[in-house]
Amino acid sequence: MKVMPSPDPSVFERSDGAALDAVETEPAPPLTFQVKALSMWYGGKQAIENVSLDVVSKAVTAIIGPSGCGKSTFLRCLNRMHELVPRTRMEGTVLLDGEDLYLTNVNPAIVRRRVGMVFQKSNPFPTMSIGENVIVGLRLNGVRDKKFLNERLEKSLRMAALWDEVKDDLHKPGTSLSGGQQQRLCIARALAVEPEVILMDEPCSALDPIATAKIEELIHELRSQYTIVIVTHNMQQAGRVSDFTAFFYMGRLIEFGTTTKIFTNPTEKQTEDYITGRFG
Amino acid sequence: MIAPKHILGTFDEALTSLRNNLLMMAGLAERCLDRAIKGLLQRDDNLCATVIADDEEIDQLEKQIDKYGVDILLRYQPVASDLRRVVSAMKLSPNIERVADQATNIARRARKLNQHPALPEAELIRPIQAHAVSMFKDAVDAFAREDVDLARRVIPRDKDLDEMNRQANKRLIESMARDPDQLRGYLNLIFVSRCLERVGDHATNIAEEAVYAAAAEDIRHQPVAASF
Repeated sequence: MKVMPSPDPSVFERSDGAALDAVETEPAPPLTFQVKALSMWYGGKQAIENVSLDVVSKAVTAIIGPSGCGKSTFLRCLNRMHELVPRTRMEGTVLLDGEDLYLTNVNPAIVRRRVGMVFQKSNPFPTMSIGENVIVGLRLNGVRDKKFLNERLEKSLRMAALWDEVKDDLHKPGTSLSGGQQQRLCIARALAVEPEVILMDEPCSALDPIATAKIEELIHELRSQYTIVIVTHNMQQAGRVSDFTAFFYMGRLIEFGTTTKIFTNPTEKQTEDYITGRFG
Repeated sequence: MIAPKHILGTFDEALTSLRNNLLMMAGLAERCLDRAIKGLLQRDDNLCATVIADDEEIDQLEKQIDKYGVDILLRYQPVASDLRRVVSAMKLSPNIERVADQATNIARRARKLNQHPALPEAELIRPIQAHAVSMFKDAVDAFAREDVDLARRVIPRDKDLDEMNRQANKRLIESMARDPDQLRGYLNLIFVSRCLERVGDHATNIAEEAVYAAAAEDIRHQPVAASF
């Protein structure tokens, strides 16, 4: 299995063509995650096979591949979410800002606060209001200062581009919102604890095109402040929102590079066949 | 060009249709060029008239290729080699259309020349035409077969064509000085030579697109040596 290093900094660019400032002054882009020789099993079935991948900071990395290729599992390994599934086993290392996430003295709850997650189906807490949904993470972490909570509530909803739509209805149930709004509420909830990374597991697959566009616009806004890793089945979406793309197949990382390179001239034939629809 | 099969049969059909139209357009342009020069050298006004009439068909094909290309981009959002093929096809067709325009210009000049006694200097055009047509054919072949090496070999040949055009112009200007009564005729031959030189420029553009389509490499605006 090939180790996929960070893409060449000289070709590190936004999908909109603008070079990242960091690259102009630094020889290599800073990395949020360094995944080394990661393998993962559900019981006896191996879901990820010896994957090595660097995730660049303050950039969007898309993970694409057919169903069952291990992309969601890989995502969950980035914040130890897979440990919630019984009978899983993992090998290899995942470094977050250079620190091993899987050392025995690392608290998974802290990891998940640093590495937030948004799921395929929006999942606001049904018994909580819109406002309570956003700040629940802070409350669980013992924050009681009302002024601070209110400030963070507004800031998070504004960052999730939801504030103007819900500012007068913060007491209403989170489930009273539309699907797209609920998904942005979940993003606001993830942002409220000020994570470093946001993992998104097919965040738009249940949304209509308008709601999808709003989430994509939000990703575009957030990427200047957060490292984002997004799993998507929609290759046009990967092309639109991401700076880097990783193609997984049968648990293996087949190719990783800048999104422009992957979608105009992939190196591996399997990648080309998959993204052009000539697969299998 | 298109292998293996796409999951969507209609996408393969659309790509094939785009490609077939493009190759048909190139074939027609090549035929027009051939007929225009024959019209000149064989002093055949009918051939010239056919070339001028056929230009309309090529113009329509250009519009059709644009429409097919936009439809494919809209419906299938192609990526990777598929995207390059569609984009290149859409960039190729204006070049082919302009080759046909040059053939039409040659046919018009030939009709004017045919109204006067034959000029032996018309033979100067023959090697220039052979060179320009072979560049055009090779460039289109390189695109059709995705032959990067052939495409790269076309590009430096444009310099030879430019030189042939310069030499012909020099000879024709000398003839003008010697025989001012035939000035208009010599001027028309200079224009014909210039049209063929432009065909070489379009062939170069097509060859550059062929390299992009097959190898995702943009070799435009480079010194000739750098394209190897």
